[in-house]
Amino acid sequence: MTTPPTPPPPTPPAPSPAAEAEKRASFEREALVHLDSLYRVALRLTRNAAEADDLVQETMLKAYRAWDQFEKGTNAKGWLLTILRHAFINEYRRRTRHPETVDLDAIEPFSVFSELQDEDPQGTFFDRIVDDEVLRAIDGLPEQFRETVVLSDVEGLSYEEIARMLKVPVGTVKSRLFRARRLLQRQLYDYAVGMGYIKGSPR
Amino acid sequence: MSRRINCREAVEQLYEYLDRELTPATELAIRQHLAECPPCCDHFDFEQLFLEFLRARCRAQGAPPELKHKILRELFDE
Repeated sequence: MTTPPTPPPPTPPAPSPAAEAEKRASFEREALVHLDSLYRVALRLTRNAAEADDLVQETMLKAYRAWDQFEKGTNAKGWLLTILRHAFINEYRRRTRHPETVDLDAIEPFSVFSELQDEDPQGTFFDRIVDDEVLRAIDGLPEQFRETVVLSDVEGLSYEEIARMLKVPVGTVKSRLFRARRLLQRQLYDYAVGMGYIKGSPR
Repeated sequence: MSRRINCREAVEQLYEYLDRELTPATELAIRQHLAECPPCCDHFDFEQLFLEFLRARCRAQGAPPELKHKILRELFDE
Protein backbone atom coordinates (compact mmCIF):
# COMPACT_ATOMS: atom_id res chain seq x y z
CA MET A 1 0.00 0.00 0.00
CA THR A 2 1.42 3.37 -0.97
CA THR A 3 1.10 6.38 1.23
CA PRO A 4 -0.84 9.12 -0.39
CA PRO A 5 1.30 12.07 -1.38
CA THR A 6 1.15 14.89 1.12
CA PRO A 7 -0.43 17.94 -0.33
CA PRO A 8 1.84 20.93 -0.76
CA PRO A 9 1.48 23.55 1.99
CA PRO A 10 -1.06 26.11 1.00
CA THR A 11 0.43 29.29 -0.38
CA PRO A 12 -1.02 32.43 1.11
CA PRO A 13 -3.44 33.92 -1.34
CA ALA A 14 -2.13 36.98 -3.13
CA PRO A 15 -4.01 40.07 -1.98
CA SER A 16 -6.73 40.89 -4.40
CA PRO A 17 -6.38 44.11 -6.34
CA ALA A 18 -9.36 45.45 -4.45
CA ALA A 19 -7.67 44.78 -1.08
CA GLU A 20 -4.48 46.44 -2.30
CA ALA A 21 -6.43 49.48 -3.46
CA GLU A 22 -8.18 49.69 -0.12
CA LYS A 23 -4.86 49.39 1.74
CA ARG A 24 -3.41 52.17 -0.31
CA ALA A 25 -6.43 54.40 0.13
CA SER A 26 -6.46 53.99 3.90
CA PHE A 27 -2.70 54.56 4.09
CA GLU A 28 -3.00 57.79 2.14
CA ARG A 29 -5.96 58.89 4.22
CA GLU A 30 -4.57 58.08 7.67
CA ALA A 31 -0.77 58.04 7.33
CA LEU A 32 0.37 60.24 4.48
CA VAL A 33 -1.60 63.17 5.88
CA HIS A 34 0.97 63.31 8.69
CA LEU A 35 3.90 63.81 6.35
CA ASP A 36 4.53 67.40 7.43
CA SER A 37 4.61 66.40 11.10
CA LEU A 38 6.98 63.52 10.44
CA TYR A 39 9.25 65.75 8.42
CA ARG A 40 9.37 68.48 11.05
CA VAL A 41 10.23 65.99 13.78
CA ALA A 42 12.78 64.25 11.55
CA LEU A 43 14.43 67.55 10.76
CA ARG A 44 14.79 68.51 14.40
CA LEU A 45 16.11 65.06 15.33
CA THR A 46 18.66 64.79 12.52
CA ARG A 47 19.28 68.54 12.08
CA ASN A 48 19.99 67.81 8.45
CA ALA A 49 17.57 68.09 5.49
CA ALA A 50 18.93 65.16 3.48
CA GLU A 51 18.89 62.85 6.50
CA ALA A 52 15.41 64.01 7.42
CA ASP A 53 14.26 63.10 3.89
CA ASP A 54 15.74 59.61 4.18
CA LEU A 55 14.39 59.10 7.66
CA VAL A 56 10.84 60.02 6.63
CA GLN A 57 10.99 57.82 3.53
CA GLU A 58 12.18 54.90 5.59
CA THR A 59 9.48 55.52 8.17
CA MET A 60 6.75 55.53 5.52
CA LEU A 61 8.11 52.35 3.97
CA LYS A 62 8.15 50.56 7.33
CA ALA A 63 4.73 51.92 8.17
CA TYR A 64 3.26 50.68 4.90
CA ARG A 65 4.69 47.21 5.40
CA ALA A 66 3.22 47.10 8.90
CA TRP A 67 -0.02 48.81 7.91
CA ASP A 68 -2.14 45.66 8.33
CA GLN A 69 -1.15 45.56 12.00
CA PHE A 70 -2.10 49.15 12.63
CA GLU A 71 -5.52 49.44 14.22
CA LYS A 72 -7.30 51.74 11.80
CA GLY A 73 -8.94 54.79 13.21
CA THR A 74 -6.61 55.00 16.25
CA ASN A 75 -3.80 57.53 16.63
CA ALA A 76 -1.81 57.14 13.41
CA LYS A 77 0.36 60.16 14.10
CA GLY A 78 1.66 58.71 17.37
CA TRP A 79 2.19 55.33 15.73
CA LEU A 80 4.15 56.86 12.85
CA LEU A 81 6.24 59.06 15.13
CA THR A 82 7.15 56.00 17.18
CA ILE A 83 8.38 54.20 14.05
CA LEU A 84 10.31 57.30 13.05
CA ARG A 85 11.94 57.61 16.42
CA HIS A 86 13.01 53.95 16.46
CA ALA A 87 14.50 54.28 13.00
CA PHE A 88 16.33 57.40 14.10
CA ILE A 89 17.77 55.77 17.19
CA ASN A 90 18.77 52.58 15.43
CA GLU A 91 20.26 54.00 12.30
CA TYR A 92 20.99 57.69 12.40
CA ARG A 93 22.03 58.51 15.88
CA ARG A 94 24.66 55.84 15.83
CA ARG A 95 26.33 57.35 12.78
CA THR A 96 26.51 60.93 13.96
CA ARG A 97 27.49 61.96 17.43
CA HIS A 98 26.74 65.60 17.86
CA PRO A 99 28.22 67.30 20.87
CA GLU A 100 25.54 68.59 23.22
CA THR A 101 25.88 72.29 23.41
CA VAL A 102 23.94 73.45 26.44
CA ASP A 103 25.09 73.89 29.99
CA LEU A 104 22.46 72.07 32.03
CA ASP A 105 23.38 73.77 35.27
CA ALA A 106 22.42 77.12 33.87
CA ILE A 107 18.76 76.23 33.43
CA GLU A 108 16.56 76.55 36.47
CA PRO A 109 16.96 79.98 38.00
CA PHE A 110 16.71 82.15 34.92
CA SER A 111 13.22 83.28 34.02
CA VAL A 112 12.94 85.59 31.05
CA PHE A 113 9.64 86.89 32.32
CA SER A 114 11.23 88.05 35.58
CA GLU A 115 13.99 89.75 33.61
CA LEU A 116 11.59 91.52 31.32
CA GLN A 117 8.54 92.27 33.40
CA ASP A 118 9.43 95.94 33.49
CA GLU A 119 10.87 96.37 30.04
CA ASP A 120 8.69 94.11 27.88
CA PRO A 121 6.11 92.21 29.92
CA GLN A 122 4.07 91.48 26.78
CA GLY A 123 7.01 89.75 25.15
CA THR A 124 6.77 91.88 21.99
CA PHE A 125 10.43 91.17 21.29
CA PHE A 126 9.44 87.64 20.26
CA ASP A 127 7.82 89.07 17.14
CA ARG A 128 11.17 90.30 15.89
CA ILE A 129 12.88 86.93 16.14
CA VAL A 130 12.93 85.10 12.81
CA ASP A 131 12.11 81.43 12.24
CA ASP A 132 15.70 80.41 11.59
CA GLU A 133 16.83 81.73 14.93
CA VAL A 134 14.14 79.75 16.74
CA LEU A 135 15.02 76.56 14.89
CA ARG A 136 18.68 77.13 15.65
CA ALA A 137 17.85 77.50 19.33
CA ILE A 138 15.88 74.24 19.29
CA ASP A 139 18.67 72.46 17.43
CA GLY A 140 21.07 73.59 20.15
CA LEU A 141 19.12 71.74 22.85
CA PRO A 142 20.31 68.38 24.17
CA GLU A 143 18.56 65.61 22.27
CA GLN A 144 16.17 64.52 25.04
CA PHE A 145 14.94 68.06 25.50
CA ARG A 146 14.79 68.68 21.79
CA GLU A 147 12.55 65.73 21.03
CA THR A 148 10.27 66.46 23.97
CA VAL A 149 9.80 70.09 23.04
CA VAL A 150 9.15 69.26 19.39
CA LEU A 151 6.60 66.57 20.21
CA SER A 152 4.80 68.85 22.64
CA ASP A 153 5.11 72.39 21.39
CA VAL A 154 5.28 71.80 17.69
CA GLU A 155 3.21 68.65 17.22
CA GLY A 156 0.84 69.11 20.14
CA LEU A 157 1.11 65.63 21.71
CA SER A 158 -0.07 65.23 25.31
CA TYR A 159 2.32 64.46 28.18
CA GLU A 160 0.87 60.96 28.29
CA GLU A 161 1.45 60.33 24.58
CA ILE A 162 5.01 61.60 24.80
CA ALA A 163 5.72 59.52 27.91
CA ARG A 164 4.47 56.39 26.15
CA MET A 165 6.50 57.13 23.06
CA LEU A 166 9.75 57.87 24.89
CA LYS A 167 9.09 55.19 27.53
CA VAL A 168 9.66 57.59 30.42
CA PRO A 169 7.36 58.63 33.30
CA VAL A 170 5.02 61.58 32.77
CA GLY A 171 6.98 63.48 35.45
CA THR A 172 10.09 63.21 33.29
CA VAL A 173 8.24 64.67 30.32
CA LYS A 174 7.11 67.55 32.54
CA SER A 175 10.57 68.35 33.84
CA ARG A 176 12.18 68.04 30.41
CA LEU A 177 9.60 70.39 28.96
CA PHE A 178 10.13 72.90 31.74
CA ARG A 179 13.88 72.88 31.27
CA ALA A 180 13.72 72.88 27.50
CA ARG A 181 11.38 75.85 27.42
CA ARG A 182 13.48 77.79 29.90
CA LEU A 183 16.60 77.05 27.87
CA LEU A 184 14.94 78.20 24.68
CA GLN A 185 13.71 81.40 26.29
CA ARG A 186 17.16 82.06 27.59
CA GLN A 187 18.76 81.53 24.17
CA LEU A 188 16.23 83.75 22.43
CA TYR A 189 16.52 86.38 25.12
CA ASP A 190 20.31 86.45 24.75
CA TYR A 191 19.88 86.68 21.01
CA ALA A 192 17.40 89.55 21.31
CA VAL A 193 19.71 91.41 23.68
CA GLY A 194 22.61 90.84 21.30
CA MET A 195 20.57 92.20 18.40
CA GLY A 196 19.51 95.21 20.44
CA TYR A 197 15.79 94.32 20.36
CA ILE A 198 15.71 94.60 24.13
CA LYS A 199 18.08 96.07 26.66
CA GLY A 200 17.74 93.23 29.14
CA SER A 201 19.58 93.40 32.41
CA PRO A 202 23.31 92.90 32.85
CA ARG A 203 24.24 89.50 34.18
CA MET B 1 -16.33 76.39 45.88
CA SER B 2 -12.87 75.28 44.91
CA ARG B 3 -9.72 75.40 46.93
CA ARG B 4 -7.79 78.69 46.91
CA ILE B 5 -4.19 78.56 45.78
CA ASN B 6 -1.34 81.01 46.19
CA CYS B 7 1.09 82.49 43.65
CA ARG B 8 3.78 79.87 44.18
CA GLU B 9 1.36 77.00 43.63
CA ALA B 10 -0.05 78.68 40.55
CA VAL B 11 3.35 79.29 38.96
CA GLU B 12 4.51 75.76 39.75
CA GLN B 13 1.71 74.46 37.57
CA LEU B 14 2.03 77.11 34.91
CA TYR B 15 3.02 74.88 32.01
CA GLU B 16 0.62 72.11 32.96
CA TYR B 17 -2.13 74.70 32.98
CA LEU B 18 -1.15 76.10 29.59
CA ASP B 19 -0.76 72.60 28.17
CA ARG B 20 -4.25 71.70 29.42
CA GLU B 21 -2.89 68.82 31.48
CA LEU B 22 -4.62 69.58 34.80
CA THR B 23 -7.87 68.27 36.21
CA PRO B 24 -10.85 70.59 35.73
CA ALA B 25 -10.87 71.38 39.47
CA THR B 26 -7.22 72.47 39.55
CA GLU B 27 -7.65 74.36 36.33
CA LEU B 28 -10.55 76.25 37.84
CA ALA B 29 -8.57 77.04 41.00
CA ILE B 30 -5.78 78.51 38.89
CA ARG B 31 -8.19 80.46 36.73
CA GLN B 32 -9.69 81.98 39.86
CA HIS B 33 -6.24 82.87 41.17
CA LEU B 34 -5.32 84.53 37.88
CA ALA B 35 -8.50 86.58 37.93
CA GLU B 36 -7.46 88.05 41.27
CA CYS B 37 -3.72 88.33 40.75
CA PRO B 38 -2.51 90.65 37.96
CA PRO B 39 1.22 89.76 38.34
CA CYS B 40 0.53 86.04 37.91
CA CYS B 41 -1.83 86.83 35.10
CA ASP B 42 0.96 88.74 33.27
CA HIS B 43 3.34 85.89 33.87
CA PHE B 44 0.92 83.30 32.46
CA ASP B 45 0.15 85.53 29.46
CA PHE B 46 3.85 85.91 28.76
CA GLU B 47 4.45 82.16 28.80
CA GLN B 48 1.37 81.50 26.71
CA LEU B 49 2.62 83.97 24.16
CA PHE B 50 6.00 82.27 24.14
CA LEU B 51 4.46 78.86 23.48
CA GLU B 52 2.29 80.22 20.68
CA PHE B 53 5.29 81.94 19.19
CA LEU B 54 7.31 78.74 19.32
CA ARG B 55 4.59 76.73 17.65
CA ALA B 56 3.95 79.28 14.93
CA ARG B 57 7.63 79.63 14.08
CA CYS B 58 8.23 75.91 13.88
CA ARG B 59 5.09 74.88 12.07
CA ALA B 60 5.82 77.20 9.18
CA GLN B 61 7.98 74.40 7.87
CA GLY B 62 6.45 71.39 6.08
CA ALA B 63 7.72 68.47 4.03
CA PRO B 64 9.14 69.43 0.63
CA PRO B 65 6.70 68.48 -2.18
CA GLU B 66 9.28 66.21 -3.85
CA LEU B 67 9.41 64.09 -0.73
CA LYS B 68 5.75 63.10 -1.06
CA HIS B 69 6.29 62.18 -4.71
CA LYS B 70 9.34 60.12 -3.83
CA ILE B 71 7.40 58.23 -1.18
CA LEU B 72 4.43 57.58 -3.46
CA ARG B 73 6.81 56.33 -6.13
CA GLU B 74 8.56 54.04 -3.71
CA LEU B 75 5.39 52.62 -2.19
CA PHE B 76 3.20 52.32 -5.24
CA ASP B 77 5.66 52.33 -8.17
CA GLU B 78 4.22 55.48 -9.61
